[in-house]
Amino acid sequence: MKHKQWMLSICLAVSASAFAQTAAERITVQDPWVRLNAPGAPATGAFMVLRNAASTEIRLVKAESPAAKVTELHDHINEGGVFKMRAIPAVAIKAGGEATLKPGSLHVMLIDLKSPLKEGDTVQITLGFDDGSSKKVEAPVKKVMPEGHGKH
Amino acid sequence: MNFSRATLITIAAILAMVLLGLLALGKAPLRANMPAGGDFAVRTADGPLALQDLRGKVVLLYFGYTYCPDICPTALLSYAAAFRKLSPQELEKVAGVFISVDPERDSLPHLKEYARFFHPHLQGATASPTEIQEIARRYGVFYARQPADASGRYAVDHTADSYIIDGEGRLVARLPHGAMPETIADELKRWMR
Repeated sequence: MKHKQWMLSICLAVSASAFAQTAAERITVQDPWVRLNAPGAPATGAFMVLRNAASTEIRLVKAESPAAKVTELHDHINEGGVFKMRAIPAVAIKAGGEATLKPGSLHVMLIDLKSPLKEGDTVQITLGFDDGSSKKVEAPVKKVMPEGHGKH
Repeated sequence: MNFSRATLITIAAILAMVLLGLLALGKAPLRANMPAGGDFAVRTADGPLALQDLRGKVVLLYFGYTYCPDICPTALLSYAAAFRKLSPQELEKVAGVFISVDPERDSLPHLKEYARFFHPHLQGATASPTEIQEIARRYGVFYARQPADASGRYAVDHTADSYIIDGEGRLVARLPHGAMPETIADELKRWMR
């Protein structure tokens, strides 16, 4: 009997460690897209929905992209009709919740694009989370926000 | 607590007046809290552009800057979508003008290319910083250049309303950022003659 209990706890421990996933594994990325920048406009935004299946909050702390010289996390603050764009240190994705990166709000800012974007191109973005894990996202370039985006 | 009949009637009357007052405020024409607006002269890659030149057309006016990665493109994409909802005859009666509040960075050729990317009916324009300031003040536009980062990049905080000017050069409507293309198209049609 004692022996069986031992085996059971070993099994539980093994399976528990198998479920100790990284933040990158727990986050699912939905509908990523990059806005086609106007000619000569040196920066553009990348948008997506980040879902967190974990029971703890996960923070997106950085983003990198080979398409831009600088990639930052940004937010817009609307202060009485004045839009203020600011770099932010992190985007929190609540336990069991989601964070929506969308125009006029949170976005990954691609600054100083290395080459002009074209509609239909795909931009690679690497998202870095607070536990050090990272996730690669392929975001298609679109001129207009895809239908139904953000309506989740 | 015991209120006399008269007190209750008085309270009811005051409440009714407040309610009516609020309703009247809500129904007040948009014109009531509209900035002065008025004529302006700016420059485009194709030459000078004065609001007087656009008499007879409904003008859809926006103040922004081309380095703006999100707010301005969102607005201009909605203008393009609104223009697509108009018939060719209606579109002929409309002029879209994008005035850059960042003349230090936004050259005229660049503004032309930028505006055309969104819609051929959209003109990109700017003027000297002093002139822009004067126009912005009359239209109730606020903008403030932010400190530059190590590479000299800077953002410009700005209001993002859209202005509609009728065929006689009067500022007749102001739409908040995020106005749907349908709303913009309806407003443009409303002021057409």
